[in-house]
Amino acid sequence: MTDLANVIAVGILLGGIYALVSVGLNLIFGVIRIVNFAQGEFVMLGMYGTYAVYNLLHLDPYVAVLLVLPVLFVVGAVIQRLILAPLRTEPSMQIFATFGLLMLLENVVLAVTRGTAYSVPSPLAEVSVAILGAQIGLVRLLALVAATVVAVALGVFLKRSMLGRAIRAVAQDRNAARLVGIDVDRIYMLTFGIGTALAGLAGCLLTPIYSLSPQIGTNFILPAFAVVVLGGLGSVLGAYVGGFIVGLTESFAGYYLDPALKHAVLFAVFIAVLIVRPSGLLGQVGAEEVGLRGE
Amino acid sequence: MASDTVASAVRSRPAALPVKTFLSELPLAVLAVAMLGGLVALYSGDTFTLNTLATALLFAGLSSAWNIIGGFGGQFSLAHSVFFAVGAYTTANLYLKAGLSPWFGLLPAAALAAAVACLLSWPVFRLRGPFFAIATMAFTEVALALGNYMEWLTGGTRGMSIPFRLGFGNMIFRDRLSYAMLMLGYTALCLLVVLAVNRSRLGYYLQAVRDNEQAARAAGISVLRVKLTGMAVSAALTGIGGGLFFMQVRVADPAALLSLFDFGVKFALIALIGGLGTIYGPILGALVVIPLEGWLRATLGGMLPGANLIVLSLCLILASLFMKQGIVGALSAGLRRIRR
Amino acid sequence: MTAPLLDVQGVSKRFGGLVAVNDVSFSVQKGDLVSIIGPNGAGKTTLFNLLTGQLVPSAGQVIFEGQDIGALSPNRRARLGLGRTFQISQTLTSLTVIENAMVGAFLHHRGLKAAARRAEEVLHLVGLSARAGVRAGILTLSERRRLEVARALALDPRIVLLDEVMAGLNPTEVGELVELVERLNAEGHTFLVIEHNLKVVRRFSRRVLVIERGAKLAEGTADEVLCDPRVIEAYVGRPRVRA
Repeated sequence: MTDLANVIAVGILLGGIYALVSVGLNLIFGVIRIVNFAQGEFVMLGMYGTYAVYNLLHLDPYVAVLLVLPVLFVVGAVIQRLILAPLRTEPSMQIFATFGLLMLLENVVLAVTRGTAYSVPSPLAEVSVAILGAQIGLVRLLALVAATVVAVALGVFLKRSMLGRAIRAVAQDRNAARLVGIDVDRIYMLTFGIGTALAGLAGCLLTPIYSLSPQIGTNFILPAFAVVVLGGLGSVLGAYVGGFIVGLTESFAGYYLDPALKHAVLFAVFIAVLIVRPSGLLGQVGAEEVGLRGE
Repeated sequence: MASDTVASAVRSRPAALPVKTFLSELPLAVLAVAMLGGLVALYSGDTFTLNTLATALLFAGLSSAWNIIGGFGGQFSLAHSVFFAVGAYTTANLYLKAGLSPWFGLLPAAALAAAVACLLSWPVFRLRGPFFAIATMAFTEVALALGNYMEWLTGGTRGMSIPFRLGFGNMIFRDRLSYAMLMLGYTALCLLVVLAVNRSRLGYYLQAVRDNEQAARAAGISVLRVKLTGMAVSAALTGIGGGLFFMQVRVADPAALLSLFDFGVKFALIALIGGLGTIYGPILGALVVIPLEGWLRATLGGMLPGANLIVLSLCLILASLFMKQGIVGALSAGLRRIRR
Repeated sequence: MTAPLLDVQGVSKRFGGLVAVNDVSFSVQKGDLVSIIGPNGAGKTTLFNLLTGQLVPSAGQVIFEGQDIGALSPNRRARLGLGRTFQISQTLTSLTVIENAMVGAFLHHRGLKAAARRAEEVLHLVGLSARAGVRAGILTLSERRRLEVARALALDPRIVLLDEVMAGLNPTEVGELVELVERLNAEGHTFLVIEHNLKVVRRFSRRVLVIERGAKLAEGTADEVLCDPRVIEAYVGRPRVRA
């Protein structure tokens, strides 16, 4: 029984991590309708940024968040304005550009760090908590808590704040939003910045859990995509739930089948869902644009 | 009906066909291959340049193959490394375990690559643009996991090697010139297939599907069947390239063959820089990108690991922003301006 | 009386609680030119989508040449002979004018040369021969409309459905396009047309159908229908009675 509890615990914790990583991707897609291939790289940048802050200022990763977040927000906003805004009408070029960003960020970090493996120690890293018969690392639990807090905060922000409402308006109908005086281009820039900042946040919180490598971004981007399509497509709640679906699937597949095949199983399930229920598990608006509701 | 009279009047005009046919375009293709052959001959004494040329020609073919579905068809596939690897492992295994000469082994390689491509893409062709791209990227990752797992087929993470046994039948040569000519033959094959597809119903249907699926359906086109056919042809050619590649390098592991940066994305990048959806674009693109990459690796590679990839990714971003028509597009725009 | 080419029987379409098309029945004979008119949002394009296959009826049947095509996909229906143009021009912008027409022609003319010849014919029919080598993306609106008609004709269709093909054209262009449709109809092509421009409707329709709020309000000749008080009320509203 504790085996099962452990598998579920691992799955939920993994789900928390995936939810955290995907929330930014989901927001960007929901509002700007662009798939940011480089999203995983911003997580990676968050991790390396945390390391840099730790190295230079000796700040704990959980404190470094305060520095890393604004920086990544600005980086994201600049990238959107310079690279993505001009490609607004060229969806196929967007794929090239964001994939180019993925390659660029990963290889720049690789060149700068010369492949040295880093890790950021945190006093909390060794602590583990026993819950319902399963041993849970505190840092992973914190990531799960953070994912929940972020999801709730984002939801509240989108519903209640002026900017949040503007963002939702643009997500629903950008032309109508323009007509009521919303500066759509500025919203795009801000949304992308928020999305990359959220990725950076995920990166910060993950530094005590994973050891840093430039390739870690690509570890996250595919599960993040699965999360967004399975549960999200613009819905914050959907991305949150989707994270757990993906995490649990991976955990069960890794334990009961073969750890080496867990990604294979995940994507087999993902493709199966696409065939059987093309609008995703939680069926969101915007599925047609993705092509998920086939003709 | 009066339109019949019109029709017969039109038909009885001196028959200047308003569109180019395969046969009318063939001379230019032959000329192109001849020029490439000339390049090979020119550098036949220089081993280093021959190596670069051979690689460039291989990628010219691979990128042309990708362009069939990615450029003409508008379906951005990141799964072509999978078809590349399928072709490579089919050829290698048939040679090592069944003693089949790679020349013959290329056929099952092509067939298997096409079959895998159809099987994988059939469920995801309903996805549009970037989501199709991500699904194909996922296939590559899954293939890597499977490839590492299936050690009997791929040698697992340790990789697989083909012993050096000289012989034409083994497709193993001592000199670089033979490899360069082999790859030239591959480029020629891919060029001919691309030309044939482009000048056929399939080519027109692929472009129609790319431009506007709804309009394509209204014209009676079965969109899924067209995408699958284009994908199958593209994958078959890619599989052949994989087989040729494996016989040339004779040692590879799944991570190398399935590498997105080294193969998967590079096919697309070369097509973009040369000219997406053009016949000669990928060839021009390969002739520019591969030597550039080699030069970068030689000069910067020591100081800055991954420098060639950094430059390539910058090229990718800049090309998508400023040069989406590629070299071919820029050249024809320039020609148009001169003509005015 | 010969069997109709297109027989629409009690067709309805529901989207959740919304009834977009409500029990519409009519038929089109070979050689007819039937217009469908009605206020904005009445469900005319939805009706077209039910006929050409973008939508599947919630109830009723679409019988084409004696065959129930209600479950067939758009491309199957196109192959059976239903050609169609779209309200928002759907030309293939990266291809040239003749290549656009060839995409349609390839349906029944398999080889490149045969398709090119057929494309030339239809371009001549719609008057776009001079623009054959031009990229479709830079055509004027009027030319794009004619190109779509050409592409539909290249399918060797039994019936052509035109969805507001005059929209956005100036009076001269409208006149040219009306002449084209009249000429093609005189040569034996069958048309079912959605049209807003009542002058056009009066000029070339043999029969007119009025759709209002998803249901057929009236059917008859142009004169009959346009003088029908119910039709006038649907368009203009009930006259206010001064107290």
